Amino acid sequence: MRRLPANLIIGGVLVAIVVGVAALSLVWTPHPENAMNIRGKFAGPSATYWLGTDQLGRDLVTQLMASARNSMAVALIAVLLGGSIGTVLGLLASAIGGWVEDLVMRFADISFAFPTLLFAIMLAAVFGPSLQNAILAIAFINVPVFARVARASANQIWTREYVFAARAAGMGRFAISRDHILPNIAAPVIVQATIEFAVAILAEAALSYLGLGVQPPESSWGRMLSEAQTLMYLAPQLAIWPGLCIVTAVLGFGLLGDGLRDITDPRLARER
Amino acid sequence: MGLFLLRRTIGFVLTLLVVSVVVFAVMNILPGDPALTILGLDASEDALAALREQLGLNQPVVTRYVLWVWHAIQGDFGVSHSFKVPVAGLIAERLPMTISLAISGMAMTLLIALPAGILAASRHRKAADWGVMFLSQLGIAVPAFWLSILLVLLFAVKLRWLPPGHFPGWSDPVAAIRALILPTVALGLVQSAVLARVTRSSALELMRLDFVRTARATGLSRARVLWHHVLPNALVPIVTIVGMQFAAVVTGTIVIENVFSLPGLGRLVFQSIANRDLPTVQALVMMFAGIVVTANFIVDLLYVAIDPRLKART
Amino acid sequence: MIEVSNLSVTFGQAQAVRDASLTIPPGARIGIVGESGSGKSMLGLALMGMAPDAAQVTGSLIVDGAEMSGASERDWRRLRARHIAMIFQEPMAALNPLVRVGDTVAEPLRIHEGLSRDAALDRALALFKEVGLPNPEARLRQFPHEISGGQRQRVLIALALACNPGLLIADEPTTALDANVALRVTELLTDLSVRRQMSLLFISHDLAAVARATTEIVVMYGGTVVERGPTDQVLNAPRHPYTKGLLAARPRPEGLRQGGVRRRLPTIPGTVPPLEKLPPGCRFAGRCPVELPQCAATRPPVVDNAVCHLLAEGGAA
Repeated sequence: MRRLPANLIIGGVLVAIVVGVAALSLVWTPHPENAMNIRGKFAGPSATYWLGTDQLGRDLVTQLMASARNSMAVALIAVLLGGSIGTVLGLLASAIGGWVEDLVMRFADISFAFPTLLFAIMLAAVFGPSLQNAILAIAFINVPVFARVARASANQIWTREYVFAARAAGMGRFAISRDHILPNIAAPVIVQATIEFAVAILAEAALSYLGLGVQPPESSWGRMLSEAQTLMYLAPQLAIWPGLCIVTAVLGFGLLGDGLRDITDPRLARER
Repeated sequence: MGLFLLRRTIGFVLTLLVVSVVVFAVMNILPGDPALTILGLDASEDALAALREQLGLNQPVVTRYVLWVWHAIQGDFGVSHSFKVPVAGLIAERLPMTISLAISGMAMTLLIALPAGILAASRHRKAADWGVMFLSQLGIAVPAFWLSILLVLLFAVKLRWLPPGHFPGWSDPVAAIRALILPTVALGLVQSAVLARVTRSSALELMRLDFVRTARATGLSRARVLWHHVLPNALVPIVTIVGMQFAAVVTGTIVIENVFSLPGLGRLVFQSIANRDLPTVQALVMMFAGIVVTANFIVDLLYVAIDPRLKART
Repeated sequence: MIEVSNLSVTFGQAQAVRDASLTIPPGARIGIVGESGSGKSMLGLALMGMAPDAAQVTGSLIVDGAEMSGASERDWRRLRARHIAMIFQEPMAALNPLVRVGDTVAEPLRIHEGLSRDAALDRALALFKEVGLPNPEARLRQFPHEISGGQRQRVLIALALACNPGLLIADEPTTALDANVALRVTELLTDLSVRRQMSLLFISHDLAAVARATTEIVVMYGGTVVERGPTDQVLNAPRHPYTKGLLAARPRPEGLRQGGVRRRLPTIPGTVPPLEKLPPGCRFAGRCPVELPQCAATRPPVVDNAVCHLLAEGGAA
């Protein structure tokens, strides 16, 4: 048994903590979500309020836990949505080739002109700021990323002998894509999904910070930071914890993705 | 060479056209009535009709698109709804702010990332290498807006060395530069994390190549080999990333301008969203996407300047 | 004059070069032959102070009177190009693709001799003429990808000659070239060595090229020198069992076909084992067709320039 790479272990532990806390918030939080205690606002850490309270006297730990859940949910939906559309597009491009492949890749090239934020701004301008629009924008930006990864990996698999055998046996392009190509490109797609999960968490935080993401009363690390920014002279501690949570989550998924790539693609690992 | 430039230029113009179609489509064809979006649900039917007429919404979509592009080429982006002035004027007023922030942010990125990446590569698997790799891993995970808040907490709130935000204008250059320091550092630190990694890995790859050994065999110092032979060759992959990063820096300015209340395009776009000022948002989004596409076009041109092999092939 | 004694290059447990000794008088042309993994290239790099960072180099190396063992990188830099220069196997990859070849050759002249760019380019032009590059003025301004492999190797030779070194180490200079081009590069190296009174260390597994270029041969196996002597003598009357095997394995046009039937090339049985698996005594033990019981355990003595137990016992390998 080979030793697991350090980034995989550290990333795995961080992800387990963040996902565990997010899951726990579904059944238990130290205080009810958004429960205010106006007299106890800006309280310091205590036995009741482990990290203290915010400007409305809400428990910081509770708000951070609820934010973790919201952040995970946004990232999960966006990556699943964008990732599956992108993967299918990549598979189709690889299976059909010719002008379809060119078209998909051109589309992927051009969509890089629209960073997540720009797309979210367009949607917010037309439909007004909302969580759905933020998720759509993050999902959209994932489509070309996955289309590229899926196509590149699928093109390699198409040259394998078992694919030739399947074609010789009369299997169609789409059946081969489903039965032979898809299972064999799962590893790079999952690695990419893990890394994009980290990117999605960052994007959600930024959009929520700018008011284009998670809307009140739902809490979000990004929103907590934008509120804390106005209170910097009064309660600087409020600007610390949400940021640390974002870094933990992003670092965790990033390291986990790197680690997964190292064990699934030894060639890349050696070059690092 | 000439053919290469021509092909790239045509590709560049085509990409800009497609991008403009996407922007126009998202802002105009998606379900919803722009007039209703702008005026709100309680607007009178007369006011809505008048606005539709003014926005040209009664014309076919294709005509509206062609007119928009035709006017945009001539520098006319229509009239802002909330400011009641031409959008082009609004943009011209705020563009210098955004451009200076983007350029200083990019310069800061290069200034940190290139030496850090080369240092890490030359001390491969030693303390400096691990240090750079650790910091860059961390830097990739830190959101620019949080780093900005932390910088403000430290340098403006606690130490009171620098202003926490707002831009006093260029009439007082010292104050203007002081106001730009924290935004530039916030933008550059985060962006340099990715670039330092790319610089390190391409330098490591190159240091294994034979011409590096040849250079050392002629008695050149390690520093000279690194800066005169390894770095120029590492520029090709670095330039690619820098092109992509310029896009990230430009969108980064949108966030940073809002954190530090700097009067640039990024502030304008959020004011316009809040005011439901669709023509202005449309022009600004096109502007930002255009900057990204142009940055990638310039990268293509830079390749040719850096690598003589490309000249021969094209 | 270069004197190497008991030079070893060690990577952890593995000895890539073990106790190699070699004297290179001015103007000498010495060949080092052996299979890949014999340590011949590592010996060349060690003479330049360019063994990998992970390697530990021991023993003594005296270059023009100066002891280089334990020398700093700064001392080595002073030595490179001006006392010892080296050219490598792959002329394709050995030149910086972004620099005009004239500037590549001019660079050490500007750094080491403080010449201006124009003066250095003038010298580069003279060097290009000396190494027989056709149309040398035009070459100066060309990039590596614009000239052929043989011309690139000539550029590298010009680069190596730039600061008038006393010794030129050529590590497999002809391996990557076509036979015809290889022949002319070999001739050029021999010629330059004679004309400039410059010593030549010709490292190659191409016995034909070594035979043409050198007057003396050192045969290496598994990091050790197994036999040395005048080129004709070693090639025509080899004494060490390994040298005999190596020569027998050499493809010879007249030997390939006999009676119309293609004869199999004789080869030395087995392959070179990894460095850390080599026996502590004679490194050829285990593959040697005439092995004695003591060979694997104890180091063989030197007998008339060959290093072999069997020869010491009076046998003929």
